[in-house]
Amino acid sequence: MRRPSDLTRCFQSMVLFVLAGGFLLAGLSPALAERPEKDLGPALTEREQAFHVLNRLAFGPRAGDVNRVMEMGWEEWVREQLDPKSIDDDALNEQLKKKYPSVTMSLGEALREYKLPYKKGADPEYIKRRNQLRSKARDELRDATLYRAVNSPRQFEEVIVEFWRNHFNIDNNKDDVAWTASDFENSVIRKHAFGKFERMLLASSQHPAMLVYLDNAVSQKPLTERELKLMERYENRDFVPRSVAALGRARGLNENYAREIMELHSLGVDRHYKQRDVTELARVLTGWSVGYNEDGEYGFDFKDNYHDDDNKKIFGSTLRGGGMKQGVGVIRELADHKYTAEFISYKLCRYLVRDEPSEALVDRVAKVFKRTNGDLPKVYEAIIFSDDFMYRQNHRVKFKTPFEYTVSALRATGAQINSAGPTHNMLKKMGQPTYRCIDPTGYYDQAEAWLDPGVLLYRWQFAMSLANNDLKGVRVPDHLQANLSADSLDTRLIQRLVPARIDPQTRNEAQEALAKGGASSAWGVMLGSPEFQQQ
Amino acid sequence: MSPTRRDFLKQSGLVLGASGLSGLTPSLTYGAPNVDGSQPPTLVVVYLRGGQDPINSIIPYADPLYAKLRPTIKVNPPGGGGGVLKINKYFGFHPAMKEIAELYDQGMMCPILNCGSTHPTRSHFDAQDFMERAAPGIKSVTEGWLNRYLYATQTSEDADLRALSLQSTLPRSMRGQYGTLAVPGYGANQVMSTFEDLYDCDSNKEARKKNAAEGDKPAEAETELLPEEAMRLRIAETGDESIRKLRQINKLVGNGGQGNYPKTTLGRQFRDVAKLIKAGEGLEVAAIDYNGWDHHAYQGGNQGTMSNMLGNLSKSIGAFVKDMGPRMDRTLVLTMSEFGRTVRENGNNGTDHGRAGCMMAIGGMVKGGQVYGKWTGMERRNLVDGRDLKVHTDFRRVFAETLASLYGFEADKEDFFPEYKSREKPVGFLKRIADA
Repeated sequence: MRRPSDLTRCFQSMVLFVLAGGFLLAGLSPALAERPEKDLGPALTEREQAFHVLNRLAFGPRAGDVNRVMEMGWEEWVREQLDPKSIDDDALNEQLKKKYPSVTMSLGEALREYKLPYKKGADPEYIKRRNQLRSKARDELRDATLYRAVNSPRQFEEVIVEFWRNHFNIDNNKDDVAWTASDFENSVIRKHAFGKFERMLLASSQHPAMLVYLDNAVSQKPLTERELKLMERYENRDFVPRSVAALGRARGLNENYAREIMELHSLGVDRHYKQRDVTELARVLTGWSVGYNEDGEYGFDFKDNYHDDDNKKIFGSTLRGGGMKQGVGVIRELADHKYTAEFISYKLCRYLVRDEPSEALVDRVAKVFKRTNGDLPKVYEAIIFSDDFMYRQNHRVKFKTPFEYTVSALRATGAQINSAGPTHNMLKKMGQPTYRCIDPTGYYDQAEAWLDPGVLLYRWQFAMSLANNDLKGVRVPDHLQANLSADSLDTRLIQRLVPARIDPQTRNEAQEALAKGGASSAWGVMLGSPEFQQQ
Repeated sequence: MSPTRRDFLKQSGLVLGASGLSGLTPSLTYGAPNVDGSQPPTLVVVYLRGGQDPINSIIPYADPLYAKLRPTIKVNPPGGGGGVLKINKYFGFHPAMKEIAELYDQGMMCPILNCGSTHPTRSHFDAQDFMERAAPGIKSVTEGWLNRYLYATQTSEDADLRALSLQSTLPRSMRGQYGTLAVPGYGANQVMSTFEDLYDCDSNKEARKKNAAEGDKPAEAETELLPEEAMRLRIAETGDESIRKLRQINKLVGNGGQGNYPKTTLGRQFRDVAKLIKAGEGLEVAAIDYNGWDHHAYQGGNQGTMSNMLGNLSKSIGAFVKDMGPRMDRTLVLTMSEFGRTVRENGNNGTDHGRAGCMMAIGGMVKGGQVYGKWTGMERRNLVDGRDLKVHTDFRRVFAETLASLYGFEADKEDFFPEYKSREKPVGFLKRIADA
């Protein structure tokens, strides 16, 4: 039993963490003493530990997972997951190839198979066919995302890919991103999620999906004084020479990407950079665009004629001339900055440990990030094998995002996915359609963003229809619910979903549901319970 | 800019044209008694997503450029069957907007032309985002303008149903710290019954007290929850709140018939807003989304896709105003869209993303029967990038005047819009009904 003084301290420190998190984001140097946090105990039982790793480092337990982790020891399970290549996933890849072929293709292949060339004034049939193929590419990625999260044996890889997917958010409904998003996931996120952060940042900055999504592809050197004057001169005339008219069209800087790469992808909001640096970085990155190479292959294209060759002044130092190397240099500098180490560490701790991670933990992880030059597996390890990770005060205190909730329910029930569309419709209602976050921030993973009235209703609808096999496209196996009785309710249902400390109210309701509506009702109630929303 | 055009507009009374005030009903004048006692005025924001074409809504039929630039999607001139519904010598409503045109004639409706964002983006997402957060170009503002207003003016006595969105997702304008509710589709009753007891926090307390009494935990355990227990409670309370509010709404709205409303989602949404306002439960802000205005191809002229959508909008609003009766004195319907569309039609009998759009305001406090906003014609040289209508009225101006008129909330003084201090002349389209 905890003493009241422990509890008081617990709440005081909670408040401090919130403040500390705020300071970190506001860019103020935290002056608070960074005493490492203590476990406010009681320590997690072995069973709770197994649930904890399966809820945080996997998308929830499947049948038998908890026991397997307990037998292996959770540390051993984690070590295996941290080296995804050691886990065989051939069966999964075969399914992906069959069900969602575009996600297994190279960018060139996907474009050849799924993109009909744009034709001005094409007939409606052609336009329809082109749109259908575009939707197909978009939906295959969306559905493969769900399929992988549910079925991949490399669960931690899927969990961490979901983190980076949101960190480097792209919306695959915007223009050509529909066709390039899949390759973005493969060649930027998956390829580097277990490598160096710098490589991932650079890869993202040269991928068509990101350049189109954040408009850098159309960013061009701004008009010169001379050109501006020329335009002014013709402003009130009826005849405007073609060359002057061309100046007025779509010619100019687009700061969108330059801002987001600093604010969202590396340094954190308003850390180190000023508006002037945004504009200057936008100038550095002019010409980082998309196009076709000599072989007709679509991809990253550095456009000389878009690029601003004049000197720039960024972070107080002058960059002479222009060229693509200049941009690569600045992006390397961003990746290497200590604020980037802090920001990424903070976000990862928030994702894996607690919505308001302790300052001391973030600080320790950031040091590892810096020391290893952003070696991501080392950073993940520093978080997972920290003492804090298994502290009582970090256990079941996160609220599942709609995606985490949906995937964990599909895993818990052992549901088979034949068609992911109807499930995705539910995700959309819950507010998290896959690859459709229009904000460059990506979807948030904190309770604050999701714990709204209204949202829960759709979770309940999902829970009930899944348990009753009313949700199209997915099927819960019969043996899951067969012969569920009041005696077996605890072992066959409740303990599979909740590690311990189930609220008496929830238990009563599950028992009642079983008596009144049978096994499917009991499953529905448990999947819709507050306990199952906790992570 | 063309001085001749402007002069022409002035002479023909297009800018200040206060014609057609004839139909004003006496009960709808300023200062009519508040029929609902202490009920707040209600703002109904209708977002036309996709970029409503202003030029085929409020049609400059008398401009020879109109027919020239839009050969396949032009609407027939007034007179004859199915032509433009004349506003004056220059403008007219699309023929599908019959009810809206009547409200205009009654002095309860006005369009605001060339209205839009200071940010030049033609991306739906950015443009909607900037508009709904009323912060063009500023991505760090994450809360919607309606939510910020609700938050800034909240009191401990706020009604449960103070702010609602009439579809299952909250529009960005309503997102933020203030607890607003997205009303899910019907058929939720059953699932609410299933989870009602589980999420019932009062009986949860009872159960815990009972356990405590039986010696499981000390009596003060209630306030000394473990973090995981605190999270469970937070989830349970949120669920409890959803059920309470939704039950209330379902009771007030029921399913019932559509009455005079069109049998469409939009019709149903307007019907529900009317029911909720009439119920007197303190509904202050209602948001309705109407998707599908992105007419890049085959948008149609007199008939066709856009015509049907304008008809649905007009019929829904017409039925709403009839249904509300004198309550329209304290109700404002404001329609908006993220941008307008190209003045010239494209190669697919449609229009592409443009800049300025038009807003429409309907309500008893609207100084209607006039066209607001500055129209500067469709000559190439008067267009942005030679293709789009220029923005002359910042949408924030309209938002500010709306909040001031209905609620006496002075956005400029409150620093409500980030990085924006309005130096624009007021649009002046609303009478003030709020106590100063």
